[in-house]
Amino acid sequence: MFSTFFYTLKAKGLDVSLTEWIALHDALNKNLCNSSLTGFYYMARAILVKSETDFDKFDLAFEECFKGVKSDNLNITDRMLEWLDKSEMTELLHEEERYWLNQTEDMHVDKDDVETKFKERLKDQDSEHNGGNYWIGTMGKTQFGNMGGNIGGIRVGGSTGYQSAFAVVGARKYRDFRNDKMLDNRQFQMAFRKLRQFSSKLDIPKTELDINHTIDSTCNNGGYLKLEWERPRKNSVKLLLLMDSGGTMIPFTKLLNELFWAIHKSNHYKDVKTYYFHNCIYAKMYKTPECENGDWIDTDWMFRNIDSDYKVIIVGDAAMAPEELYSESGNYRGPNGGLSGEQWLLLLKQHYKKVVWLNPKMAPGEAPWREAETAIKKIFPMYKLTIDGLNEAMVKLMTK
Amino acid sequence: MTTNFTSTGEYIASEELMASVNIAVALEKPLLIKGEPGTGKTMLAKAVADALGKELIVWNIKSTTKAQEGLYTYDTIQRLYDGQFGNEGVDDIAHYIKLGKLGEAFDSDKQVVLLIDEIDKADLEFPNDLLWELDKMEFYIYETKKTIKAKHRPIVIITSNAEKELPDAFLRRCIFHYIDFPSKELMEEIVKTHFPKIEENLLENAMNVFYEIRSYSQLRKKPATSELIDWLNAMMIGGVDPSKIKAELPFVGVLIKKDEDLDVVRRRVD
Repeated sequence: MFSTFFYTLKAKGLDVSLTEWIALHDALNKNLCNSSLTGFYYMARAILVKSETDFDKFDLAFEECFKGVKSDNLNITDRMLEWLDKSEMTELLHEEERYWLNQTEDMHVDKDDVETKFKERLKDQDSEHNGGNYWIGTMGKTQFGNMGGNIGGIRVGGSTGYQSAFAVVGARKYRDFRNDKMLDNRQFQMAFRKLRQFSSKLDIPKTELDINHTIDSTCNNGGYLKLEWERPRKNSVKLLLLMDSGGTMIPFTKLLNELFWAIHKSNHYKDVKTYYFHNCIYAKMYKTPECENGDWIDTDWMFRNIDSDYKVIIVGDAAMAPEELYSESGNYRGPNGGLSGEQWLLLLKQHYKKVVWLNPKMAPGEAPWREAETAIKKIFPMYKLTIDGLNEAMVKLMTK
Repeated sequence: MTTNFTSTGEYIASEELMASVNIAVALEKPLLIKGEPGTGKTMLAKAVADALGKELIVWNIKSTTKAQEGLYTYDTIQRLYDGQFGNEGVDDIAHYIKLGKLGEAFDSDKQVVLLIDEIDKADLEFPNDLLWELDKMEFYIYETKKTIKAKHRPIVIITSNAEKELPDAFLRRCIFHYIDFPSKELMEEIVKTHFPKIEENLLENAMNVFYEIRSYSQLRKKPATSELIDWLNAMMIGGVDPSKIKAELPFVGVLIKKDEDLDVVRRRVD
């Protein structure tokens, strides 16, 4: 049956399983969509998509497969399934749509044309227009504006009134939920919860009833109840957070602030230590984000006193001049102990078993124009600071 | 399915939501509801139960809730204590088995609506521990060697605030619905079910301010339906002059809960 849709969904990155697909067929058999395309849209979405972050992908796939099916009264269950089996049908539908649209000259829609006219008129128009058939406004008949009766064209702002399937698809109102967007505090916190390693060997009071030992002790006690307690299991993960501060990181202040609080609020690590640096790590680590000279610790001290089993998260944009990474003769921000930035980073890598680098504006792949970033990527696994990136980084920190 | 879920006198559902509920009921799969806090996720289960004339069983999930608690608990310690004093019934384990909410729903003589509220509060593995039980609608009590099987498959509604991601295997078995923030028209309808006698003037002014506040992108927690209802209620009791709502923002603390957000709103309104 209409497997094109299935594969389009897959191609858009939606992980649809066979179980769900069969459930959809089951629902179609029971005619739960009332034979309407809009009904089908909501039904398929409810069954196939399990997160609002994926709604946008679903919308795109749906549009690709069903574009051209205009009428909402189509008998979808039988006829459409037949059509959808043939891929050329979609093409035909497009042609059909275009044909109908071209019937009335007024309603002729050609995307480029519409856009040009829209821009022209936008330039000429200087006041608000509602009704009428020339200017951009509401309730009118031109191809531009909002709430109008024209079928194709450009909608200017406003919210979707009639929620037909394509109105929803076209509005792409779930775009903001996409996973690859920058993330907010709660999502940060959720990602950090992935970092856990339970251990009951920690130094905390015994507060949980140990059933097995209780039974043993009770038996040894001649049948008189004797309760035994054990320590609850606690997260044993320790975290060292190193943040780039100032300069090119200023546009990301809010994001970093959120990240910082997410880590401190989550409150479930055994220990969290935070230090700051400017652009690259050298001989000193700053105690505050202001990175003031003097208010620092030796990076060597950090290596000595913060054990190698701390998991290290470095946050920075890795945007620096190559000499900041390679020069051994010092940099304008504090001493470097005769080692280049790169050498300090390698020392860090040597000392700590688990290090990841989070970058709020990472370039994809190898970016020759960002030499320092590419070099650092070779030292530490680098992830973009998005939900997906953060999750990957957390997995990296937890796996061997 | 002959009975269908529609909006009730107290709960206004969008068409998509009604469709999702009906699909879940017809396909006998759990319905997973997500949405902004305060958009009526929990209320939905009550409305479904009312509309279909079924009993509602609520299982509130907390961070410490274990899947087993929903099925049954075996009170070993009580039994041990009872055993010390030779109380009656100690030899009957069934005495010390207590069914949890899920067990209750399975054991009920009539079909019920089971609400598993805020499933994401529990441990990450929690939903996985319930896969079999929700799929087969049965579980086995080891202590008494009995299987509790649902006499009538309950209608299962699960709500989540998206605090934690739910496991894929679990999601595959659910029907998913995301409650969008209600449009102005739907919102008016919702408000009117709560306050049938509200003055048009007050409602209109308040709604305008409400949607304007929601449009401020700097807000950390946008006010939602439940805040609007509380706010209207406060203004009706306080007898506020509708024309002054925008200028004075009376009882704005009901609408905005965070200090930083209050500052944002005050600055924007001035």
